[in-house]
Amino acid sequence: MPSLPSASGTGMYYMRAAKSIRLIRQGCTNRPFYHISVTHRKRLNSQPVIEQLGSYDPMPNMYNEKLVALNLERLKFWLGNGAHVTNPVAELLGLAGFFPIHPRSYMTAWRNRKTEKERVAAEEAEKAKAESS
Amino acid sequence: MFNIVKNNTKNIIVRCNEQSFYIACRKLSIVPSLYDGEQDPAPKFFSSGVQVLLKRLTRPDFAKVFRKRTNTNQQVLPTPVYKFLTNEELNIEVTKANRTAERLLQMPPVVKIHKPIEDVICKDPALVGYDTSKFLFTDITFGIPNESRIIVERDPDGVLRSSDHDVRKRLNQIYFPIHGRKIREPTMFANEERFNSLLEREKYEFILDRACIQYEPDEVPYQKVTSITYQHVDLNSKYDLLRSTRHFGPLAFYLTWHDSMDNLMLELVQSEVVREAVLLIALRHAIRGDIANGDEVNSVVQQILPIPVQLTKPEHLREEDIQLDNKCVDCIDKYIVNNSSMKSQHGLALQGFREHYQQLVELSRGLKKAHGTA
Repeated sequence: MPSLPSASGTGMYYMRAAKSIRLIRQGCTNRPFYHISVTHRKRLNSQPVIEQLGSYDPMPNMYNEKLVALNLERLKFWLGNGAHVTNPVAELLGLAGFFPIHPRSYMTAWRNRKTEKERVAAEEAEKAKAESS
Repeated sequence: MFNIVKNNTKNIIVRCNEQSFYIACRKLSIVPSLYDGEQDPAPKFFSSGVQVLLKRLTRPDFAKVFRKRTNTNQQVLPTPVYKFLTNEELNIEVTKANRTAERLLQMPPVVKIHKPIEDVICKDPALVGYDTSKFLFTDITFGIPNESRIIVERDPDGVLRSSDHDVRKRLNQIYFPIHGRKIREPTMFANEERFNSLLEREKYEFILDRACIQYEPDEVPYQKVTSITYQHVDLNSKYDLLRSTRHFGPLAFYLTWHDSMDNLMLELVQSEVVREAVLLIALRHAIRGDIANGDEVNSVVQQILPIPVQLTKPEHLREEDIQLDNKCVDCIDKYIVNNSSMKSQHGLALQGFREHYQQLVELSRGLKKAHGTA
């Protein structure tokens, strides 16, 4: 049986092809774990990547932290080589301070604050109604 | 400053250098002390004079340094290998052995506690509500040392800051693990009872080796563990367990820094190694500078250092040895008068040594006369 290609990258690529830095979902059922890798844009996520530049664990750990690893030196190399960055990776890099903060992050934060305010207002209204009745 | 409190209280709260430690004790309590005052021990520890003295005080015994370390205390005897060598090849082998011994006996550094990292890179209040958990970003670039790795965190309130030392250590261990270091604090160090039981069983080398792997020398728990261990060794005078290991140097430095080297001095004089006692006095002068006849002590030390380490007593004494030993005894006498805090015990031990030494001198002089070589 042929061995599976390494998830951390084969290092082989076409120089003039379009590349992108994106999240490749690894992990198991109901337990996502993403590799931040540079790969050809037309490749599927199951096909071998060029190089893994880091990882992102979307599930918070016992200290309520989400761990992101970034190989900044190789990231700068591939960005210099013309690799595009997908939106989720751009958001992460914005949070890290490597990129400017993505407008989607501001939008998500604003929307979360709005829903939280509405939820709190609804709760207060219900409590007031329960007390008055 | 540390104080040893012998009392029967169950739990005590002590203040030591502006930090309070809550210690559960059964019979005897030892207060840990950290190098966190204004005085920085690093320049003194790394100065060549002090390093030479500390290496000499460890009295390296190659049989112990090169022994095969096992989990149990069973002695493993390797099959001996015999080689026929010329003199030059023998010298090469000896230098190789000395270099390996130096590497094995390299002392863990004595430095003061690291300062906390408080470095806010960016404040983004517009990101409040983005997520309820913190984001930790580690730079896994190959080839940079772990201490200078970029590790930042984005808090839920939108602040981007550099992470503090404990977070840094945890993430470095996750992405670049050191063999033997655990991410969670080992129970051996966290649990007081287990730690005390290890101390009572005198497993000092095991504790100190594990502390060196688990912690960095400028961390608070490392200095606490090592200071408690050193004080325990000092109380029970079990210096021999740490001789010929890499921990004897920092032990001697710690005791001299905190002015509690008198027990060690007593043990040296009682085992009749007066030359090492003089080295200890010179160490005190180098660290604290409060010996009155410091220059005299240093000149004696210069005469002691060229002589190779003696693990067993010599069979016969030459005249130069006798003169050197007499000078050492004078230095120790002056130390007992000026700086010792256990004057009577030191005096008694020195007296015992003098009498025993007198017999040895007479014996060797008599033998020389009898053999006609006087």
